[in-house]
Amino acid sequence: MANTLLSLNEATRTVNSGNNKVTLLDNINLQVKEGEFISLMGPSGSGKSTLLNCIGMLDGFTGGGYTFLGEPVHSMKEKNRSKLYKEYIGFVFQAYHLIDELTVWENIETPLLYKNVKSSERKGLVADMLDRFNIVGKKDLFPVQLSGGQQQLVGIARALIGKPKLILADEPTGNLNSKQSTEIMELFSQLNKEGVTIIQATHSERNASYGSRIINLLDGKIVSE
Amino acid sequence: MLKNYFKIAFRNLLKNKIYSFINIAGLAIGMAATILIGLWIYDELNYDSYFKEKDTIAQMFQHESSNNVIGTGPAIPRPLEFAMREEFADNFEHIIMSSWNYSRYIGYGDKNINVTGNFMQEGAVDMLEINVLEGDKNSLEHSNVIMLSKEIATTLFGSENALGKMVKINNEHTVKVTAVYEDLPENNSFNGLKYLMPWKFYVATQEWVKNSKDSWGNNSFQMFAQIKDNTTMETVSSKILDIKKRNAPEEAEFNPEIFLFPMKDWYLRGDWENGVQTGGRIENVWLFGIIGTFILLLACINFINLSTARSEKRATEVGIRKSIGSQRGQLIFQFLTESFLIVCLAFAFAVGIVILSLNGFNNLASKTIEFPWASGLFWILAIVFIFITAVLAGSYPALYLSSFNPVSVLKGTFRAGRYSALPRKILVVTQFTISVALIIATLVVMNQIQHSKDRPAGYDKEGLVQIPVMSSEFTGKQDLMREQFIASGGATYMTTTSSPTTSVWSNRGGYTWEGKPEGFQENFAHTTVHYDFVETLGLKLIKGRGFSRKFATDSNAVILNKTAVKYMQIQDPVGKYISAENPDSDMIPLKIIGVVDDMIVQSPYTPVKQAMYVFESYGNISYYNLRLNPNNSVSKNLELIENTFKTNFPNIPFDYQFVDEEYGQKFRSEERVASLARVFTALAIFISCLGLFGLASFVAEQRTKEIGVRKVLGASISQLWILLSKDFITLVVLALVIASPIAYYVMSGWLQKFPYRTSVGWDVFAIACIGALIITLITVSFQAIRAATANPVKSLRTE
Repeated sequence: MANTLLSLNEATRTVNSGNNKVTLLDNINLQVKEGEFISLMGPSGSGKSTLLNCIGMLDGFTGGGYTFLGEPVHSMKEKNRSKLYKEYIGFVFQAYHLIDELTVWENIETPLLYKNVKSSERKGLVADMLDRFNIVGKKDLFPVQLSGGQQQLVGIARALIGKPKLILADEPTGNLNSKQSTEIMELFSQLNKEGVTIIQATHSERNASYGSRIINLLDGKIVSE
Repeated sequence: MLKNYFKIAFRNLLKNKIYSFINIAGLAIGMAATILIGLWIYDELNYDSYFKEKDTIAQMFQHESSNNVIGTGPAIPRPLEFAMREEFADNFEHIIMSSWNYSRYIGYGDKNINVTGNFMQEGAVDMLEINVLEGDKNSLEHSNVIMLSKEIATTLFGSENALGKMVKINNEHTVKVTAVYEDLPENNSFNGLKYLMPWKFYVATQEWVKNSKDSWGNNSFQMFAQIKDNTTMETVSSKILDIKKRNAPEEAEFNPEIFLFPMKDWYLRGDWENGVQTGGRIENVWLFGIIGTFILLLACINFINLSTARSEKRATEVGIRKSIGSQRGQLIFQFLTESFLIVCLAFAFAVGIVILSLNGFNNLASKTIEFPWASGLFWILAIVFIFITAVLAGSYPALYLSSFNPVSVLKGTFRAGRYSALPRKILVVTQFTISVALIIATLVVMNQIQHSKDRPAGYDKEGLVQIPVMSSEFTGKQDLMREQFIASGGATYMTTTSSPTTSVWSNRGGYTWEGKPEGFQENFAHTTVHYDFVETLGLKLIKGRGFSRKFATDSNAVILNKTAVKYMQIQDPVGKYISAENPDSDMIPLKIIGVVDDMIVQSPYTPVKQAMYVFESYGNISYYNLRLNPNNSVSKNLELIENTFKTNFPNIPFDYQFVDEEYGQKFRSEERVASLARVFTALAIFISCLGLFGLASFVAEQRTKEIGVRKVLGASISQLWILLSKDFITLVVLALVIASPIAYYVMSGWLQKFPYRTSVGWDVFAIACIGALIITLITVSFQAIRAATANPVKSLRTE
């Protein structure tokens, strides 16, 4: 039986819009074990992205409990939280979100800088990653010089470089054509087999099917699993 | 990590060339101005630093009161020396009597040059640590000797050895050169010390000096001193305060107080008002210090405004970095690194600008500042300066940019809020408030100078030439010279005077007259003059007549100025007599024969002092004053005069001064301030406009879509132009409203120090306001019109 990676206990997220309190996530209970590949599904506005951001600690739950590797995230200070996600979490975005002013190499390297990895070690890690994704020849190009699929590959490489336990992917193939999508999804399932836990938000049934578990959200609630 | 930051910063700079240019150029100009001002201030503060004993050297100063007004000055009587040595010698390292800084002719072979210097007692070389390059350091102990500065020695003897050469002083005395010393630099109080001669020689050769040995009332000398290390200026001053009163009871009515005026205050805090030290050049140091800070601030504001205005472009990067593990502190550090980099670049350009402009700046400020390449202090301060500027310019953008929420910026829903432009607007208003206030201040300074220049001088300055005749060779020759000058056709009138037309060298009291108020302590500007005084100078006679050969009694006559009549409270002055207050005096009573209109002799900013022009046939002549022949050209006149002069005095160089030029000197210090202020104001405006230009192009870019839509809906170019310019004009108008009262208040205060002053008129504000608005419109319109004329189809399609 695999270890529990994270668990949500009646996690809630509300925002104030004018005088109204809007509930984005409503009493979510969720256990994620290491090695799972979860697909979050649901229509626009159902709370998929919010849930991912909250799990990824970019955003915070406003109520309920969130435990990550046994540590209570909801009562942590920003600094510790940042340390935690820097160490264990990698993000992949729909719009890739590479830094335009940095080359492929530098984009992949950046998370290592924030983890204070030594220069020689960084070189090795980045080179390995480029090698693995077959983008060695593109290492000195800037993001605008790449196709969407290639940009997303770099995005994933960047997410993986820190050897995270958990990858959070928000519509990772949303901006890609079907061939590119397939490649990316194949890559995800490959990574999952290597032991990385993945949570993806997606609209596509086909993409969701790569996952080991599908969670349907509607209006901030888990409606089925 | 740092490398990564620098890389990003560089690529951002290259990517946005216009913004980079505005940022770096603005900062570079601002920093260059600040560096120049800094160098200037450093030079001012280090005036007299050539003297290693600066902190222990002082000059004896004296307060004296008459009619309840205390006057303060460096002139002291000769017997003070003896009393000082007898009573307080153990407080001093040196006590040095000195003459004023006189100009004399020094002749060798066929050369005869006009040189300024002092007669001083031995110890002066030691006290001032004058660097004797060759010869006898103790020359001043002897009598018939002269010490020359290197410059003068070279002029006189070229490459020959100066030591042992015999030179003629004023064609009168022959003395031996016994030492040559290193030239003193420009920025010290003894920069006129090109020769040094023994005090003994002065006493021995000048009858009036010899005779002043016991006259406590004859304040005609200077005394310098260096105090012992174990005491302080204040202590010694308090001891010597009443030395004159005790030794000269007859002077007690003027309540004379002797004190030490420390060398460190000479240059910067030399103003006295009614016995109180009121400042001096230190005010200009403050003034330019403030201007420098303002200019730097303006440049930093540009940086802040452009960085925050363009924040949306950087927002995504902030979001990504946060999502891959950057903490806010690291982002703040990154943005500060970036501003540091930009400031470093700007500093490099600033140094270039300073080097290129230093020459012009020196001319403007009449300084001899060099770029301090080798000064460690300069580079340390430069680093501090870079850091301060980087933090000043970079902190707010760093805090602002790093505060973005990653979720919202990455989702693409990030929009700078409604009020996010508010700090920017406040900063623009601040910029223009400073600029407009500087414009107004500069205009007021210029107005005040013009106002004083327009003040009637009371005589005809143009076409008037003065020739210094302080050598004894001239004695008794003025009648002959007058005839010859006039006969030559170069001049129409000539008179002689004991002081130059633009200065008062003697002030006297001790008179009485009919109706003199009880206990009145009079003090007149005293000048001895000759026939044709009124005609030569073109003075306006109000009453009576000028000196005339027709009246034999005019050899004991006096002319007063209008102020003197009022001052003396004398009715119908013409025909009355002024005589000595002391009945034992051998002074022959002076008959008042005329009253002339006030003539500005001293400061053009103060009321004219009561003056008496006393006829004197011989002796005490310092200047020939010539009214040039109006029928000839100036050069023709000068040629005729020079020929006449040369025929009579073949050994004396022909020196002359145009009186109107000398008069113009009175404005020099204010004009210097004004021209510096003008340059820095122009820079301030330029920097502010640069920032405005950047903001305008940003706004135009940001509103491209809006403009496109409006255009499609039928808006005209002029409507769009107004739309885009309106906001900026509002800000500038606001700045005008804020700046005007502040500038009015400050400049009214500044004008208070000039008794003769202009007022701060509405025209100054009108010019400043209209000027600021026009400049703003031009700056903003360029971008506004470009945006307004762009093809809407294009701008809408790019969305």
